[in-house]
Formats: sequence, structure tokens, C-alpha cells
Amino acid sequence: MTASPERSAAGPARPVRLNPLTLLAAAGSTAVITTAAGSWPLSLTVIGASLGLSAAGGTARRVLAAAAAILVPLGLSLLMLHGLFFPEGTTVLAAWGPARVTVEGLGFAGQRILQLGAVVLALLVFSFNVSLPDLVAALSARGVQGRFAFVLASTLTLLPAISARERRIRQAQESRGLVVTRNLLSRLAAFRLQAVPLVLSLVEDAGTRSAALEARGLSNTGPRTSYREVPDSRLQRTARAVLVLAAAAALVLRLVQAGASA
Amino acid sequence: MPERLRDADTAVHGNLPVLAAGIRSFTFHDDETAALRDVTVSFTAGSFTAILGASGSGKSTLGRLLAAWLPPGGHGALAGFLELSGSRLEFDGGPDDPRIDPAQWGRHVGFVPQDAATVLSTVRSTVAEELAFGLENSGMERTAMQAAVGRTAALLGLHDQLEQDPARLSGGQLRRLAIGCAIITGPPVLVMDEPFASLDAAGADGLAAVVRDLLARGTAVVILSQSIDPLLLEAGTWVVLSGGTVTASGPPAAMGACSGVVPPAIRRPAAAAAAVAGPRPVVPQTGTPALELRGVDFAYPGGPGAGRWRRRIVQAGHPNGVAPVLRGVELAVHPGEIVAVTGPNGAGKSTLLRHFNGLLRPSAGSVQVRGANISGAPVGRTAASVGLLFQQPRDQLFERSAVREVGFGLDRLVGPAQAARRAAAALESVGLAGAAREHPAELPASAQRLLALATVLARKPAVLALDEPTVALDGDGLALLDAAVRRAAAEGAAVVLVTHDLGYARSAAHRLLALDGGRLVPA
Repeated sequence: MTASPERSAAGPARPVRLNPLTLLAAAGSTAVITTAAGSWPLSLTVIGASLGLSAAGGTARRVLAAAAAILVPLGLSLLMLHGLFFPEGTTVLAAWGPARVTVEGLGFAGQRILQLGAVVLALLVFSFNVSLPDLVAALSARGVQGRFAFVLASTLTLLPAISARERRIRQAQESRGLVVTRNLLSRLAAFRLQAVPLVLSLVEDAGTRSAALEARGLSNTGPRTSYREVPDSRLQRTARAVLVLAAAAALVLRLVQAGASA
Repeated sequence: MPERLRDADTAVHGNLPVLAAGIRSFTFHDDETAALRDVTVSFTAGSFTAILGASGSGKSTLGRLLAAWLPPGGHGALAGFLELSGSRLEFDGGPDDPRIDPAQWGRHVGFVPQDAATVLSTVRSTVAEELAFGLENSGMERTAMQAAVGRTAALLGLHDQLEQDPARLSGGQLRRLAIGCAIITGPPVLVMDEPFASLDAAGADGLAAVVRDLLARGTAVVILSQSIDPLLLEAGTWVVLSGGTVTASGPPAAMGACSGVVPPAIRRPAAAAAAVAGPRPVVPQTGTPALELRGVDFAYPGGPGAGRWRRRIVQAGHPNGVAPVLRGVELAVHPGEIVAVTGPNGAGKSTLLRHFNGLLRPSAGSVQVRGANISGAPVGRTAASVGLLFQQPRDQLFERSAVREVGFGLDRLVGPAQAARRAAAALESVGLAGAAREHPAELPASAQRLLALATVLARKPAVLALDEPTVALDGDGLALLDAAVRRAAAEGAAVVLVTHDLGYARSAAHRLLALDGGRLVPA
């Protein structure tokens, strides 16, 4: 009716989408198998593959930042623990009283860090590349209750929603003379002014929105359908089954091995 | 649309009202005086009713009660009855009152609130999915949903936006989406609160067509409004609400401007536009402009990697997926000059205003305020010279009371003593001196807009940028706005106002410009 010509979309040109459950199965089974196998070449391969995938998906920077936030403190604590206090260690590199740096200890810590890195990266690559609308639609299609699916979806969109509201309040304040520079202290001081209005407006918003949601039948108990079509295929369904079975097999094998060596 | 259901309703009830209310009183729990008293309304299938009232007359409260968005007992006590398709629920404000199931009620009464954004579920990533939300909850088959979404989008002119993120729609597009969400399930009654606010001329024509279409199909349409838009002249009944009670009701023919039945605070846009007496004197454009835009280009990042919730917009002629909103915009506004910018919904009018104080930065070209380029300056510093009134007052108001709201940032600008004086004067100038201690969120929509205006006026900026300032204002509010804008210009401010209200733009501005295809051209 009034849309400017710029807004008219000219045909979809989107890449092939995978079912989010297939992605979830792939990430989950990779995590289980890597943990169960405990083999550093496998861990290294998974880490390499995850980094490659995230680079291809254009999320490498965010994945690396999140991975560093999780892995650096954990890795350091593993190094401290196993590097200094590894009872089975025999090849001593240095010793300070009870603390001994041993080759075996360092090797063990290194292996654990690689294993952990593989698991964390696989899951992060999944969560940064999965389409949340697809995931919610796929779950609702599998009978997950509307209310639960809504709570899940709004939890996943909570952070973006809060940051969007915070941005709006900050823009209103800046437009009335609040100077926010790139300086961290200036940003913190500005956030102090936004915190109270942010919380109050989120509470008020939730109140008005709930009336709309109720009127649109969010609480209906009957069957529900999904408008969004989530791509799926026999190949993907088979792949999911194989992945879950492989993860289960790896777990069983690991338990049997542990039982035999005990 | 489930037409069989509605036809059955019409057949069974004949001329019986599909929705009726007899409100002896409705009082909010935290209030002592009744918000509504002695209000009796009823709507038959295919009837068209306009409920007219100035800001604060109780219109929105009545609308939300009729739609069960304000279920009795929840936020207030109702004495009286609500009747849906012949079944009557009696209330006396006590604990034994019947309870309304909002979902059940919602199937019969669709509601479009004044603040369209509150309709959004916020968990759907495209306009199409947002439209389908109510259908999904009722378990409709996908093919039927797709047909309903397509039909509703075509009816409201939202076809090109179906794959867009609802959070990125313009104000007018958002209103159309809210209307779509209300009518897509085909309720026998549709109640709309100020549906014309922020709609451009084409949008208003489109809405009129939608209303006529619904009426022809037997839907009862109720429009709550503080201005007599042309469509409302076609209504069968006007109900005038004032001070929470019905002061007149009957066919529009009996309520002309001369009858004195409709209070002057209810705007008659047609009359206002006719009252404009020729072009206003031209302001001499000499010296340094207060605001100057030179060759400003701007595009929102829309390509891949711009966020998972944002859809990639593949544009014809823009293979990188980025659509320019502004292209080579040139504008110079001198002190004392009032310039109005018009354009269809989604043309980029708000985007243009946000460049004036640096909230958005041009991808090419420059913005100069009083001769200085603002490209490196923080927004907060430019704000000393540029006052921006946001399109949505709720985006602008964040404090606990009206006086704190106006005072925010003023003491940094002019010192505490002067700040208090200026805040009081600004509230006085928009007629809100008596509401200084009230919470901004609890003020009526018109007062919220005026309060937002006061926060801008109090700073006495060299450049006044107003985004859709007339939306939600009743006749009294419009007069206050007009006086404030003229006073600011007379005191030397350069005023740029963006509006779809051509009548007001013509009466207030020295120059009229249109934003079309990203370019600013004389209108």
C-alpha cells in the first residue's frame, strides 16, 4: 500500500537450513563421544572442525570470545590441579615441597583441557548458529506445550529484549544531555541511571503484554499448530538416530572399559 | 476466517446485540473515584459505532473492559453487566463475581489497543508468524493459516513486510500489524482504540476499506477516538464520552459541529485543515542555518551476521543485502523556521530525525548544528542544541514523576535553581502543572505526549526535532502543541516536524518537504 520500493524483497536466497534438532543431536553426540573417548587426536579434530564451522557460519568471533570466557579459568585451574599435584606422576620437572610438576601431570591436564575445549566449542557453535525460531517451532511440533515453548522462547530472547530496552532508555537520556563516552567508567555511570527505569519498564511491559497474550489464546489447552515450517528429511531423521545411538554406544563402551580395568 | 461461526451467530441472534455492556461504575483498585459510570452500550452484528471522547474521558478503559483486556476483578471493581452473544455476566464488585476467560472472550471480540506494540508476542521472528500466532494457538492447519495470513496482509498492505522482524516495523506498519492480529481470527466484534494514530493517508484509506469490508461481512466494528476522522462520519451511532460517562449518543447527523453535543476537545481534522488561511510568511533564510544536512546517506545493517533474529533482506539492486533509507539528503533549517517533513509509513522519517543529534550517524555526508559538524560529538553533548521528541512517548519517558522527567539533565545544563524554574514553566506550558507528581506511565496518552514535549521544550534547544507530535493528542492537546511550537520558533528555534497529518503540517509549517525514496523533495 505505502511501502517504499526499497522494501520489496526480491525472492528468497537463503542457504539450506538444517533442522535444529539435527544440529542439537550433532552437537550433543559430539560432546558425549569426545568425553567418553578421552583421546586427544579426536578432541583436536573436534576443536578444529568446530572452529572451521563457526568461521564458515560467520560466528567465529563471538564463539571464540564465549569459549575463552569459559575455558581460560577452567583451563588454568586444571593446570594448577593436575600439573602440580598428580599422584601418578613419576617424571618430575620441578618440585616445591608437596607440589611437583610432572610430565604425566601436565600431559593429563593438557588432555582434559582439550577434551573440555572440544565439548564447549561444539555446544557453543550449536547455540550460536541454531535458529531460535526454528528450534521453538520444532519443539512445539513435537508436542512441547505452548506455554512452555513460549517461556523457552522468551528466555532465549530475554537478553536481546533487555538490551534493546536499555538502548532505548539510554538514547532517551542521551537526547536529554547524558554524555556517554567509550570510557568504561562513563558507561558504568550511565548504566546506573538506566537500571531502575529498565526494571520498572520491563515489569510494566510484562503486565500489558500478558493481556494481549491471553486474548490471543496462549493458554489454550487444545492442540496447537505451527506456522513456521522447519525443514526436515528422512536423511536428517536417520542421521539423528545414528548420532544418538553412536553417543549411547560410546558411553557403554567407556563404562565397559572402566569396569574391565577396575 | 471462520465465517460459518459468525454467520451462525448472526442467524441465531438476529438483531440481538453481539456485545453489550451496562456499567453502573468501574473503579480501579488504587483509585477512589470511578473511571466509568452509567455507561450503557450495545453493538449488533454489522453495526458501526464510534465512541468519541477527549483524552482522559475513559475511552481506553471502556475499550479494554469490552475486550476483556481489563477483566473485572483484576485491576478494578465493576458494578454492572457484560453481555456476549446473548449470555449476560452480572458483576457487583464482590468476590463472587463471575470470572472471564480472556481467550474465550478474545475469540469473539478482537481488540487493537492504542499502543500497538503491546500486541506483539515478541517471540515470533517475522510479521507472518506474528499474524499467525493466534491461529497457531487455536490449532489451525498450516495451509489454512497461510491463506489467512496472505489474505490479512493483502487487506492491510503488509505483503512486503511479511518476512520482516516485527520489532523493526515503522510506527504505522506496526499499527496495521496489530489490526491484522486482531482480525485474522475473524471475531464477530472488533474494538479499535485510536486506530488512525500514526497512519499515513494511504494507511487511513486502507483501514477505511478494511472496516467497510468487515461491516459487509457482518462484523460489529467499534472505534474509540478523540478525533472525528472521515471514516467515522459513516458510523451508525456516535457515543460521546466525557468524564467517564456518556453525555450524548445517536446518529452522527444529529451531532454536527453546530449542535454543541460533541465537546470542542474532540478534533475534527477536516475542519482544522479547512481553517488554514493560505501560506504563512516565509522566514528569511540568511546567516548560518541552525541545522544543515549535506549529502546524507544512511542504510541499516541488514546483511548476514547482523543478528540471528534479523532476516536477511535481499534487495533488488542491492546485492549486498543493505537497503539505503536516506540518499543524498540535503536540508538547511534557519532559526525561527518551521519545516514539516511528510512521507508514507516506513519512508525513513524517524530515521532522518535521529541523525539530527547523532543517535544515528550518516554513512556518507555530514550533519552540522549551528555550523559545527557533530560527527565526533557524543549525543549527550549535541543534545544541548538539539531537542528530539520521540515518536513513542514511552521510549522517551523513564522517570518516576512528571516533574523528575522534565528535570532530567536540566541541572547539568542550566544549574539546579534555574532547572527547577524551567521544569515548572515547561509543565505549565503544556497544561500539566497539576500533574507534576504523577507517574508518567499512568497519564493518559495525550498527556504522555505533552509531557514528552515538555522535556524537550524545557531545554530550549536551538533545533527542535518532533517525530509525529500530533499522534494521540486531542483538540486541547493539539492547541497546546501548536502554541508551544510557534512560541519556540518565535524565540529563534529551528523546528523540524515529521508528521503524516498533512492538515497540521500545512497549518504549522513555513515549508513542506516529503521524504520519498530516501530523498527529501519539496512537497
